[in-house]
Amino acid sequence: MPDVANLNPAATSRAEALLTVESLEAGYGEVQVLWGLSLKARRGALTAIVGANGAGKTTTLRAVAGSIAPWRGKVSFEGEDVTHLPSHAKAARGFALVPEGRQLFATMSVAENLEMGAFSKRAAGKYADRLDQVFTLFPRLAERKRQLAGTLSGGEQQMVAIARGLMSDPDILIIDELSLGLAPVVVYQLLATLKQLKEAGLTILLVEQNVHLALALSDYAYVVAEGKIFMEGLPAELAAKPEIRKAYLGL
Amino acid sequence: MLGILASIIDGVLVGLVYGLAAMGLTLIWGVMDVINLTHGAMIVAGMMALYLLANALGISPYLTLPPVLIGGFFVGVALYWIAIHRMVGRPPLMSLLSTFSVNLILIGVGTAVWGTALFNVEVSLPGITVGRYTFPGAHILAAVLAAVIAALLYVFLHYTRTGKAMRAVANNREAAELVGIPTTRVLAISVGVGVALAGVSGMLIGTLFPFTILSGDGYQLKGFIVTVLGGFGNPVGALLGGVALGLLEGMVTPFVPVSWTLVIEFALFVLVLIAFPGGIFASRRGAL
Ligand SMILES: Nc1ncnc2c1ncn2[C@@H]1O[C@H](COP(=O)(O)OP(=O)(O)OP(=O)(O)O)[C@@H](O)[C@H]1O
Ligand SMILES: [Mg+2]
Repeated sequence: MPDVANLNPAATSRAEALLTVESLEAGYGEVQVLWGLSLKARRGALTAIVGANGAGKTTTLRAVAGSIAPWRGKVSFEGEDVTHLPSHAKAARGFALVPEGRQLFATMSVAENLEMGAFSKRAAGKYADRLDQVFTLFPRLAERKRQLAGTLSGGEQQMVAIARGLMSDPDILIIDELSLGLAPVVVYQLLATLKQLKEAGLTILLVEQNVHLALALSDYAYVVAEGKIFMEGLPAELAAKPEIRKAYLGL
Repeated sequence: MLGILASIIDGVLVGLVYGLAAMGLTLIWGVMDVINLTHGAMIVAGMMALYLLANALGISPYLTLPPVLIGGFFVGVALYWIAIHRMVGRPPLMSLLSTFSVNLILIGVGTAVWGTALFNVEVSLPGITVGRYTFPGAHILAAVLAAVIAALLYVFLHYTRTGKAMRAVANNREAAELVGIPTTRVLAISVGVGVALAGVSGMLIGTLFPFTILSGDGYQLKGFIVTVLGGFGNPVGALLGGVALGLLEGMVTPFVPVSWTLVIEFALFVLVLIAFPGGIFASRRGAL
C-alpha cells in the first residue's frame, strides 16, 4: 500500500483524501491546545489517531466537526473548504462524529436516539435500511429500543452512540474512543462491521486508546502529542519504531 | 362542606390554566436553560389581544385563540433573536437581565398606551349547576382548552420531527448539532412555542378574571411556583403543578383573605424547594 505522504499532492487532495486538515490551531478560552496539526483521511481507508491522555485528540475531532471553532488552519471535505461550516451543515454533507463520552439524548428512547441520528435529509430516505443494519449489528438495541437511553448500561450506551452515527448514512465516520466500555466480544463484532462498511466505501477516522488495536486495524495512523502530529505512517512502520514501542505499546 | 368541594373543583379548573401558563416558562428553561422574564408581559399581551379583538372588533372571545397562538409564536421568535440568542450558554444572569429589560420595556409601553385601567372581557356561557353550586362556563371551557393545548404540546414534542429535535437539543445541544439538527433554529422555535403558550394562557385567564397591564407579574410568579411543583424543564409536570396550585388556592380561598393567597403559595414554594429540589413531579418520563 502506498504511503499517503508520498503521493503527488494534486491526486491526494481530490481523489484520495476525503478529509484534509491543515495546520489546525484550536483551544478553549485562552488556552491553546492544537498547535498546527495536519492530517488526512484517505477515501475508503481506516485512519487511526493515537496519543496520550490530553494530547488533543478529542479537541482535534471537535474542531474538525465544528463543535468548537478552529482558530486557524483549514479543514477540507471532498475538496471543499468546510472550516467554518456549523456542525449540522457538515452532518448534512455526510460527516458523522461519534463523540467521546457518548453524549446520548438521555431522556429519549433508544429508537428516538437512532431516529435523530437520521435527522438530515440525506439520511431520512435510507432510514429503514439503516435501522435494520444497526439492529443486526447490535441486536441488544433492538430489544431495548423503547428504553430511555440514559438508563442503559455503559456498553449499551456506547452501542447507541455508534449506531446513531451510522444512522446518518455518513461518507466519513469519525469515532472518538471506539472500544471504551465495550466488552472484547462486542469490540470484535464492531470491528468486523466497520470492515464491511469500509469495503462498501465508508471512510473511517478513529481515535483509539488501545494502540495495539488501532495499529492492528488501521490502514494509516497518526500519533498526536502536545497538539501536533508527532509521527505518522503505516501501522507496521509505526509499530516497529522504538519510541512508539516504548511509549505507547509498552514493549 | 359542599362549598369547599366546589371551591376545590373550581380551583382545579383555574389551575389547569396556570399549568398552561407555566408550560411555556418550563419549555424554554428545559430547552436552553434560560428563564424568560418576559413571560408575564407575554401573558398580558395575550390578555390585551383578547380585549382588543373581542371588545373592539366584536369577535367571540374564544375565536381570539388562534391569532394569539400564531402571533405569540412570531413574537417569541423575534424575542429569541433580540434578547436570548447571544445569551444562550452564558451565565444565567445574562439572560435574566436581558429578558427582564425587554419585560420592563413592554410593560412600560403598555402602561403608556393603556394606563393601568382594569379591563374586563364579558363571556356569557351557561355554567354547570350541581346542587346549589354553579361552575362558571368560562372556567370549564378555559380548563378544557388548556388541557387540549397541553395535550397537543405533548403530541408535538413526542411525535413530530421538530418536537423531537427540540427534546434532543434540550438533552445535549452539541450532540444535536452533530446529528444534523440546526440547533439555533430549534432554539428560536422553542421560544416561539413558549411565548405562544404564554399568550394563550393570558388570553384564557382574561376570560376568567379582570386584568390590568400590570397583572402579568402575579401570573409569572405563579408560573414559577408551578414550575417548581412540576419539576424544571418538564412540561407535563407543569400541568400537574398547575392543578396542584389550583387545588391549593381552592382549599385556602374560602378561609383566608385574598391578599394572603400569594403568601401561602410562596411559603409552599420555599418548602417544596427545600424538600424536593428537583420538583415534586420531576419524573424522567415527562422531562424534555
Ligand atoms: N472544555 C474544555 N475546556 C478547557 N480545556 C479543555 C476542554 N476540553 C479539553 N481541554 C484540555 O485540552 C487538552 C486536550 O484535551 P483532549 O480532550 O483533546 O485530549 P485527548 O487527547 O482527547 O485525551 P484523552 O485520551 O484523555 O481523551 C487537555 O489538556 C484538556 O485538559
Ligand atoms: Mg479524548
